[in-house]
Amino acid sequence: MPTDTIKIKRLKAMYRLRAKVDDMYTSGLEAMKDGRPVAWSMVTWWHADPVFKAMDLEVVYPENYAAMVAASGKASRYLDLCDADGFPTHLCGYSRINLGYVSRMVNGCAGGIPPEAPMGGLPKPVMMLSHSMLCDARVKWFQSLGRYMDTPVWMMETALPGVEEWNDPDVRKWSLKLVMDEIEQFIAYLERMLGRKLNRDRYDEMLSDMITLSRLAYKTFELRKATPCPMHSRDFWSVMPPYLYMSGDLKDSIDCYQALYDEVEQRVASRIGAVEPEKYRLLFAELPPWHSLEFFDRLAERGWNFVKESWAYNPPRPLEGLEDISDPVERHARFHLHVATGYHADALADDEYMGYLGYPYVKFAKDYACDGAFFHGLMTCRSASTHHPYTRELLMRKLKIPSFQVEGDLVDLRLFNAEEALRRAEVFEESMDYYRELRQQEHFPADNMQPA
Amino acid sequence: MLDTLHGMSRVSQVLADRSARIRELKAQGKKAVGYFCSYVPVEILTAMDLVPVRILGDMDEPVTEMDTVLPTSFCPFLRNCINTVFRGRYDFLDGVVGAHSCDAQEKSIHVWKSKIKYEFYHYLDMPATLHPWGADMYRSSLEKFKSSCEAWTGKPLSGEALEASILAHNRHRSLVRELYELKRFDPPLVSGSDTLRILTAISGLPVDEGSALLEAVIQEARAGKIQADTQDKKRILVVGACLDALPLIRLIEDFDADVVMDDNCMGARTYFRDVSITKDPMQGLASRYLDLTCARTFRETVAGEFRKDHAADLETRFAHLGNYIEKWRVEGVVIQLVRFCDPFGYEVPELKDYLNSINIPNLYLETEYTTGSLAPLKTRLQTFLETLL
Ligand code: SF4
Ligand code: SF4
Repeated sequence: MPTDTIKIKRLKAMYRLRAKVDDMYTSGLEAMKDGRPVAWSMVTWWHADPVFKAMDLEVVYPENYAAMVAASGKASRYLDLCDADGFPTHLCGYSRINLGYVSRMVNGCAGGIPPEAPMGGLPKPVMMLSHSMLCDARVKWFQSLGRYMDTPVWMMETALPGVEEWNDPDVRKWSLKLVMDEIEQFIAYLERMLGRKLNRDRYDEMLSDMITLSRLAYKTFELRKATPCPMHSRDFWSVMPPYLYMSGDLKDSIDCYQALYDEVEQRVASRIGAVEPEKYRLLFAELPPWHSLEFFDRLAERGWNFVKESWAYNPPRPLEGLEDISDPVERHARFHLHVATGYHADALADDEYMGYLGYPYVKFAKDYACDGAFFHGLMTCRSASTHHPYTRELLMRKLKIPSFQVEGDLVDLRLFNAEEALRRAEVFEESMDYYRELRQQEHFPADNMQPA
Repeated sequence: MLDTLHGMSRVSQVLADRSARIRELKAQGKKAVGYFCSYVPVEILTAMDLVPVRILGDMDEPVTEMDTVLPTSFCPFLRNCINTVFRGRYDFLDGVVGAHSCDAQEKSIHVWKSKIKYEFYHYLDMPATLHPWGADMYRSSLEKFKSSCEAWTGKPLSGEALEASILAHNRHRSLVRELYELKRFDPPLVSGSDTLRILTAISGLPVDEGSALLEAVIQEARAGKIQADTQDKKRILVVGACLDALPLIRLIEDFDADVVMDDNCMGARTYFRDVSITKDPMQGLASRYLDLTCARTFRETVAGEFRKDHAADLETRFAHLGNYIEKWRVEGVVIQLVRFCDPFGYEVPELKDYLNSINIPNLYLETEYTTGSLAPLKTRLQTFLETLL
């Protein structure tokens, strides 16, 4: 990771949270050394994580690990192996790193961790958890590891109801039932595999901590609506893993988040922006170029502050009445289901139907008074790029907010050309100025206007 | 009347303008519903007196209308199909049904719904596994599809009408299988390209008209009127996702080979499994559709196993291909993948493992779903076909 510059004012409380992602891998490796089981999991948007935690099973996330391999510049060896083994090159870049990693582990290292693997490597799992949310890679990738390892895969389903359908009580009912059934069945599977019962009190406690943490994170990020915005996307990405992966001790994460909240609140009170002077407020669509984060410093020098990111990495909107649900499985299921449906009602009211990946940007652009949106197209991640053309048009049509698209990839770092992107960013400022004026002339809602 | 011609002449006539017959039917007060994917239960549409129309792409048509719809790093097949819609080729549709069969299908239906306002849209959420509790959800999802059609048309759907429709579609499917039986001959009585032309024609006709057309072409084929060629050719199976375009098949045929069998959405995958006639027709539909042999389904040999048996896993996922290979005396397999197709993309190495395990030569080809993108594949294809004994 590049060193911080004075251009983006990093939050002090961020550092403790950022370190937690390292803890996740260290714990996984320690578990392996102690002979304790380790699981691999897709990101499940809280569908499986509390169960893993309550069962005391160490979990690592190959998606996240692959991002770190890519950022460390060590991806090519694994990508080459994946290609040589016959996987198409258009598949999710993170999965290609992992497939190549496993190929090397099994065929080149007798099942052990490859010595060159960053962060000490990924320990061999006792099981892998696939999940059906958001992309087909997450359903198929672990299955295709079967040619290397005899590790079983448990596939966890979720419901993905459409915007209009979500208005229908029957659809809500069966979606909830599916998500609950999946939790129960997954618990039963882990109990059989590990030969121990889930401690339901501990599970309940994990759920409470998960909800507390997520709400606290949500409340913290809401403070970013302030002008100037006190927290830049770079800090957001750094503090994301503790709640998205529930990495490390949850109570400690809650403490860390409280400290983050206090610091951000303090900045708001003192009108301190993460970028000063804040000339432009931007949305960032999907994942950043991890290997070129200094790019944001260069933009910060131009007064660009990134104030909000994708729905997919933000905590869900707090759901009223969750605490009143006595059945922990139902509480858990409702929390998870709310992730993908939390913006459906807003989308429906606006006659738009891409309710999770697309529409939340409209809401964010309004609430966070954005001047523009930066779309980072990721060639090999369908989830992070399918909705871009539609969403860009939507932002313009509904709010007259311009956007610009820069091509990149999860792992093919050459695709992202920072210099070229910076040149285009300069030109894009004219667009942001033009539309800001236009919005003022046309009296767009006040929350969508940037104070002069 | 447009349907005065019979057999292959009628097939050519339908293909010259797939919308012509639909427009006639619409003039009689019928409504047409578009869909992309084999996971849309057409039986329900037919039972509601709606005309299901499979939306197809056009490999020769440039994609011009997708700049604000779908990105270039997206399934080029679906992008092309939606492009044809946006260019007005399906302007006769009254409604659209999308299924969550793959991620690309699921996402595009939502974008499409936001962009073009039809009278009727339905999105069918469906599980990715064969978990029994997922099947319950899918059954409910089908019930909802039925009630949403009822609400739109203002007509209730009776159990008898649904059963009659299931029987009609089963008959239709059995006729397609009969057609495929004629491809077991050596040389086959119907070529791969003619098969695809026939399947394309019936995919936009009401089920009974499609069946009548199938009967006529089967008769012609039996009489040797379709495949005059008696030359000995290599017998090829093409496996892939959504193969609705002739150019690839023609390319294979150009090299003295014949596509005698397939496993794709326009062909065997859609027609080789019937709906069981059960007391509860919805249950029959749910079981049939969830169990189609498509890569989109996460299929397990033993649900909840603690150790994966790879050989058994391959058998569970690909044994149907082994059966086809044996029965149609296939000499080589072409694995055809459109770029950016993830469900099938992840299968490629294991599919090759399976085919190698049964000693069948195979070739993997990736296309961009444009005729132009086929040209560079020619040499590899030719070399492969020449190596087949
Ligand atoms: S395609 Fe994108 S969302 Fe899917 S597994 Fe890969 S990185 Fe994750
Ligand atoms: S080709 Fe693949 S990605 Fe495209 S619609 Fe078919 S299954 Fe989905």
